[in-house]
Amino acid sequence: MRSFELQSKHTFGNYSCLFFYHPFFVPWYLVCVGDAAVGKSALSHMLHSDGTLLQKNYSMTTGVELLMKCVNIPETNDSVELYIIDSAGKETLVESCEKMWGEPSLLCLVFDLTSEQSFANCSRWMERVHAHCRGLPVPGVLVGNKLDLSTRREVQTSVAQEWAQSQGLEYYETSAKDMENCDAPLLSLARAFHSLYQERRETIQNLSPG
Amino acid sequence: MIDACLGSQGAKVVVATSGDEEHPPENITDGKTNTFWMSTGMFPQEFIIRFAEPTSVFAVTVDSYNVKHLKIEKNATQNVSQFEFVAEKEFENTEGHLQSNAISLNGGSVTHLRFIITAGYDHFVSVHRVSIQN
Ligand SMILES: Nc1nc2c(ncn2[C@@H]2O[C@H](COP(=O)(O)OP(=O)(O)O)[C@@H](O)[C@H]2O)c(=O)[nH]1
Ligand SMILES: [Mg+2]
Repeated sequence: MRSFELQSKHTFGNYSCLFFYHPFFVPWYLVCVGDAAVGKSALSHMLHSDGTLLQKNYSMTTGVELLMKCVNIPETNDSVELYIIDSAGKETLVESCEKMWGEPSLLCLVFDLTSEQSFANCSRWMERVHAHCRGLPVPGVLVGNKLDLSTRREVQTSVAQEWAQSQGLEYYETSAKDMENCDAPLLSLARAFHSLYQERRETIQNLSPG
Repeated sequence: MIDACLGSQGAKVVVATSGDEEHPPENITDGKTNTFWMSTGMFPQEFIIRFAEPTSVFAVTVDSYNVKHLKIEKNATQNVSQFEFVAEKEFENTEGHLQSNAISLNGGSVTHLRFIITAGYDHFVSVHRVSIQN
């Protein structure tokens, strides 16, 4: 039943069986951005498939890919269904990707720990994402990827951490290659949106009639 | 005649795109504004009300929160398909209290009304009551 939204959002066939009750049916939409070749696709696939091996013959991202992943929120009965939009970082493709973004609920901003430039470009990505959010708060994470290439590291943890904090993002370091820490950013995002939901639900419960 | 409690007439929500079991879509048709259905993220969101029998509807009143834009479609068949557009409205943001908007549907017999929330003032929106005038 949980795949209902993805498969048949606008084609209600046999409606009686579409009247689902999953404890927490949530399609949240996560946009994954960053420069080309920082590892967005590798990470998205990792997040998606719970850690299958990094694809060997890796081709550069050619467009936008939509993935889906279900995350269980620890200590609750709730699970969060995330759509992960992997957008290409190549300049020529950025515009078509931005059309797909719509209004993201969550942000995953990725840079390559071995590329100072990819980190420097993060503020530009932030601006772009915010332009799409119409003032809604978007919980987000900053991810420094390629942690395994420690000898080539160009961005220090403390620097990235500080910038992340200034942007209201949680900071994580991952290696999609070694499958290290890859679930942490996603879990953190799912948690953040889940608590936002509960906060709003409380507000609505306490509203006075119009 | 204004009917605040659609549920007592046999009308019910047959499809809703979000489901928090503590706030089920039945809350839309129970006639009360202190119970609600809440979306759990993303737009568009929609729900479809099915009437027990073909009903002519002149207007609907929607009590809601954080809804920015609502589109209404109808059909007069037994199936939940082939809807035609009837009305749309931009709601005002009301902080701290419910939105209440009347939308004219210019009569005509319907068996299903489809409510599509295309945008909100927040990630989450709630619908507390739909009542009809017929
Ligand atoms: N060493 C290492 N290489 C990685 C890692 N993540 C991705 N890569 C490689 O970096 C290249 C670009 O990755 P890709 O996911 O396509 O980047 P994207 O353009 O941001 O989507 C590919 O050759 C990947 O195999 C990682 O954590 N460590
Ligand atoms: Mg890619």
